[in-house]
Amino acid sequence: MKPIIEVKDFVKRYGNFTAVKNVGFTVDEGSIFAFLGPNGAGKSTTINTLCTIFDKTEGTLTIDGKDVSTQKNQVRSVIGVVFQDSTLDKKMTVEENLKMHCVFYKVPRSEVEERIQFVLKLVDLLEWRKKMVSALSGGMKRRVEIARGLIHYPKVLFLDEPTTGLDPQTRAHVWEYIQRLQKEKNITIFLTTHYMDEAEICDKVAVMDHGKIIAYDTPLELKKKHTKDRAYVTTVNPAVFEKVLDSQNIPYIKKERYHLTDVGDKTRLLYALSECRSDITDIEIRKGTLNDVFLEITGRDIREGGGSR
Amino acid sequence: MRVIYALWIRNLKIFVRNKPALVLNLVFPFFFIYVFGEIFRNDAIENHITYMLAGIIIATVFDISLRVSTTTIDDITSGFMKEVLVSPISRLAIAAGQFVSSATVATMQGLIIFVVGFFIGLRVTSPLTVIYVIFAMIFVGLVFAGFGLLIATKTKNIQTFQAVSIAVTMPMTFLSGAYIPLSLLNDVLTGIAYFNPMTYAVAFFRTIALEKTNLSLVEMVNEGLAFEIGRFTIAPMASMLILLVFGTVFLALSTITFVRVDFSRLNRNKSDSIEFE
Repeated sequence: MKPIIEVKDFVKRYGNFTAVKNVGFTVDEGSIFAFLGPNGAGKSTTINTLCTIFDKTEGTLTIDGKDVSTQKNQVRSVIGVVFQDSTLDKKMTVEENLKMHCVFYKVPRSEVEERIQFVLKLVDLLEWRKKMVSALSGGMKRRVEIARGLIHYPKVLFLDEPTTGLDPQTRAHVWEYIQRLQKEKNITIFLTTHYMDEAEICDKVAVMDHGKIIAYDTPLELKKKHTKDRAYVTTVNPAVFEKVLDSQNIPYIKKERYHLTDVGDKTRLLYALSECRSDITDIEIRKGTLNDVFLEITGRDIREGGGSR
Repeated sequence: MRVIYALWIRNLKIFVRNKPALVLNLVFPFFFIYVFGEIFRNDAIENHITYMLAGIIIATVFDISLRVSTTTIDDITSGFMKEVLVSPISRLAIAAGQFVSSATVATMQGLIIFVVGFFIGLRVTSPLTVIYVIFAMIFVGLVFAGFGLLIATKTKNIQTFQAVSIAVTMPMTFLSGAYIPLSLLNDVLTGIAYFNPMTYAVAFFRTIALEKTNLSLVEMVNEGLAFEIGRFTIAPMASMLILLVFGTVFLALSTITFVRVDFSRLNRNKSDSIEFE
């Protein structure tokens, strides 16, 4: 696959403050790419620079071979953007919002109707077409924005925290649409999020912290590299259990239950468990998550991040 | 062109959909005619009701045009402008769309009052007058659309904007001769009025709407349609030229500011205001 977004040595400074420090990455065409990190890590700055809203301080950023600082209008024609905050025209209906967008992106008049049908169907909002945007729920508005971001058939769709502030059910729906899109239209999706679980389904993930990319790989590889499977065991006979664990070289921490911090080798775990099977009252095995990856790399939880950026 | 047209339609729709405002915009002028007409009865003027009416029509055009073109600030605060800014269209087209919409809406509202005016004594002898009146309204509408956009882009948050717009529109309306004849003002206020573009808009519009173009300069001065500033007498035609100069400056300045302004720096809401610090 060829890369559609290429970023090299990107630096962004606001006065004395450096928001993004020498960042580089590529995104393959047709993939879902997630930018992870706590608030204030520089995600939005990067996405806004790619969307031609901010100007870079240093570096080269290209989308589809076009430079985001010198060929702004060419870049704008091939991207769709869904911002963190709603940018819908609340005084207009859903349909009017979409039509206006078609005008802005020079969609041929003859195709407007067909495309409105297509995108509204995609986000299940066909019957809401004539409703005022202000009458829609938060999740619906987000879906309208996604529909609008797609109506000019962009090659890349940017989603800046697309699910922030949505209830779990709506979040799941929005994700369904995003994945459907990527499969059906082969659109490259570039998103930022601080929900680690959402990043799991992405093809590639870049973890950002303090303006730097601190990890950049597929979610699977990241987890393999930075996390260990854990098990939590409750037993009525601690002395015997500890002895077995020691004999099997399984590291553990004793708390209200036993935290087995590395159970990568399942045969040893199974052996230990079967040795003590009559004493064990509860077992929980937990796979490493991207949150653990973040924790492992930075030493802190992703939700602890600072101010909004 | 397609962009300008689309923005034009959008703003017309917003105007038509806002029914309460539509009614209020119609009621207020007549309320003012009644109140001010009684207070400032002036013997130099033969029909003070139509005299007031002409002033109020153009004051309405001014007010509406300014208000519509400043809806840009709403668009900025509601985030819609951000969508516009990442799209591959020129800001020039957006500015033009705003100007055309403001002038159209203002003219429509002005025309409604003009038509209702016929029921309270307004008369025209030549159908040409109606055409002149429409053109004059479009012209005045454009001038102040430029002015409105300038205010909207210069003041970046809604609170400042509201304060500024009141501070600007009140004196511009009341020190223009639209409601209160300039002859009733003291020298200081009259002096200020001469710097007010609205003064010239009122004078020239009144002359056209009341079909007073044939009056002699002395009569025009008496009726407040022309002004004597020092040794100069400013006839309605000259008023129009002065307004044209104001308009050109407003439109040019506002377009330049609008094209250059960095919207990412706008103070849209609390969470965004700390975005860059």
